[in-house]
Amino acid sequence: MSGWLSAILYILLAPVAGGLIAGIDRKLTARMQRRIGPPIFQPFYDLFKLIDKENVIVNLYQNLYLTGFLVFNIVAGTLFFAGGDLLLVIFALALSGIFLVLGAASATSPYSHIGAERELIQMMACEPMLLIAAMGLYLLPHSFQVRDILAVDKPLFLYLPGILFGLLYILTIKLRKSPFDLSTSHHAHQEIVKGITTEFSGPALAVVELAHWYETILILGMIYLFFAWNPWVAVPATIGLYLAEILVDNTNARLTWRWTVTSSWLIAAVAGAGNLIVLFYFLKAGF
Amino acid sequence: MSNRTIIPFGPQHPVLPEPIHLDLVVEDERVIEAIPSFGFIHRGLERLVEKKDFQEFTFVAERVCGICSFIHGMGYCQAVERVMGITLPPRADYLRTFWAELSRIHSHLLWMGLVADAFGFENLFMNSWRIRENILDIVEETTGGRVIFGAAKIGGTRRDVTNDKLKEIGRTLKTIEAELHAITDVFEQDYSVQQRLRGIGILSREDAFDLGAVGPTLRGSGEPMDARCEGYAAYRDIEVEPIVESDCDSYARCMVRIREIYQSFDIIRQVLCRMPDGETEIKVKGYPNGEHFARLEQPRGEVLYYVKGNGTKHLDRFRVRTPTFANIPPLLKMLQGCDLPDVPVIVLTIDPCISCAER
Amino acid sequence: MKMTYVALKSLFSSPATANYPAEPKTYYPGTRGHIVLEVSTCTLCKICEIRCPTGAIQVDREGKAWSIERMKCIQCGFCVDSCPRKCLSNDPQYTSPASEKITDRLDVPYEPPKRKPKPETPPA
Repeated sequence: MSGWLSAILYILLAPVAGGLIAGIDRKLTARMQRRIGPPIFQPFYDLFKLIDKENVIVNLYQNLYLTGFLVFNIVAGTLFFAGGDLLLVIFALALSGIFLVLGAASATSPYSHIGAERELIQMMACEPMLLIAAMGLYLLPHSFQVRDILAVDKPLFLYLPGILFGLLYILTIKLRKSPFDLSTSHHAHQEIVKGITTEFSGPALAVVELAHWYETILILGMIYLFFAWNPWVAVPATIGLYLAEILVDNTNARLTWRWTVTSSWLIAAVAGAGNLIVLFYFLKAGF
Repeated sequence: MSNRTIIPFGPQHPVLPEPIHLDLVVEDERVIEAIPSFGFIHRGLERLVEKKDFQEFTFVAERVCGICSFIHGMGYCQAVERVMGITLPPRADYLRTFWAELSRIHSHLLWMGLVADAFGFENLFMNSWRIRENILDIVEETTGGRVIFGAAKIGGTRRDVTNDKLKEIGRTLKTIEAELHAITDVFEQDYSVQQRLRGIGILSREDAFDLGAVGPTLRGSGEPMDARCEGYAAYRDIEVEPIVESDCDSYARCMVRIREIYQSFDIIRQVLCRMPDGETEIKVKGYPNGEHFARLEQPRGEVLYYVKGNGTKHLDRFRVRTPTFANIPPLLKMLQGCDLPDVPVIVLTIDPCISCAER
Repeated sequence: MKMTYVALKSLFSSPATANYPAEPKTYYPGTRGHIVLEVSTCTLCKICEIRCPTGAIQVDREGKAWSIERMKCIQCGFCVDSCPRKCLSNDPQYTSPASEKITDRLDVPYEPPKRKPKPETPPA
């Protein structure tokens, strides 16, 4: 029952929390650049303004795909917060990504096409590590159910340091932060303009923004799982790791897609799979 | 089957705030060819010389470019002064050199910010521009304008700076220089920056020379050529060693500019030390009659000024060959075979100023 | 690593930017902001009109007025340099942004000297 309650809370509150996090992120980023920065509520002002704008679409399917993107993001998050199957969450997240790619590819602009291609490459870079993370989380409770993973009363991050590191690495890609803001970035100064979101405007862009907030909360939830044995550690740790992401965003140039794929697969193979194998044999040996 | 796409790059592209249009013929993400087109903002400034009298035209010449403005004005004045046989009072020469070097520093800092932005390093961009703002403050305080200095006039300078003020500026520059080290170290050492600059946009020494590259683009390819060595203005007293890097890539061009900033700080220090007292302008009588070519070193490279007077208050002909114009053929050479994400970086390493090139 | 230092140092120092329209910018005394005419000493000699590179200044001798198109003026200060009576000056404050082209017209109370030779007419 509590699972469904938290799922409903997620659906209702995630946009608020996600927007606030985006606002704090922008403020902190600004301060790291010695700027005053926008007010913390700026993302909400932006969202409302986007919703108010005229709905200009390139073709009929674009908004349909974007709705798919938003809906499956919410589905993934709802499943996660309802304590559902982690694998299903990851697949729903991947599906929502595919919808975004379809939306971008349905437009004719070369920028959004290249953005869509890059988004696919990024998903290719992320997926192995996400699956390894799911497997790693499975090992202790012997279940993919989030509520079972939450119930483990051991500090998971001590068992899964490599996987946590690998997950954080690809979360930079998921959160669209430097050095991996390839397919689109938060500012349009990129060789492919705004990449995957170039052709979206007004309410459509608001949908993308909203979906991104849902996704951020889901991602933070995933980080939380690793520390879930003690909420007093988990909340500061999650916040701390998100702050570290902001710092990384501010201290790196954008890298190329070749570098992204190679490095994320390398980390998935070494840190992720290595951790998985070691942990598997440790548990088998009865530690 | 080849899978070629044409990606339009400019004139309204956010990475390239300059009105040049490049059609990038792309195969996957590899650029096969770059086809430029020009002429979006031809303003006809060269012809305007027939309408404005030659003293007024200083202001027009200065507005050829918004960033290297002072050196444009200075170049025009220098050419006209040579035609009229005017020798400037030494203080005017030194003040002009002082402002020219300040404009070089602020232009290079602007460039550092833009290139950081091109490889998606927002923080570096903001920090470079923050330091540039301090330089602009000095400029505004001494000349009255931020980027359009408006300080050069035929026969000297329009403003004088008191010696006390100059001393104070010397001290301010020292603190700015110290602050700048933190930023330039990032360009020199940061891993992700190196990933985006090293080995990108190779321009061999022969190609650079044959295609007529100028300025840091040429010096980054190992060719020691700097018009300041010609000894115009106060450079006749101040030794300028051309800064050369031999790696021929974007990183080399970046390093040339960074080292030039420190060189400019050094030149300004020398200028401030040796600043002679006296007049800053002399009365100009008569009208120019004759022709002259002036060569100056701008932040972006060598600029050529040609003026031809006919003994009236209007000049017959005025011509500028701006450095960006000379750097476009090397740019197209560099773009062939590069990756799409490297295009903005390569375009920026020539420090394009298309508005200059089209006048 | 260098950049981490810069970013963290920036995070804990005060921002370099200002909350602009709320906090007005301070200009330097020498900033060329906009042109100001001291009407009492102006003699409507038209030199500024001739010298102005953009033709922003209009001098109307009959109507006894001096006018400037603010949006046309490029703040070069050439009129200030060439004014024989030194009645033009640069004010550091920039012209405020506007959605229409403003022309400022100032009445100049200058009386041209009569035929009889006599010293300067005192300004009215």
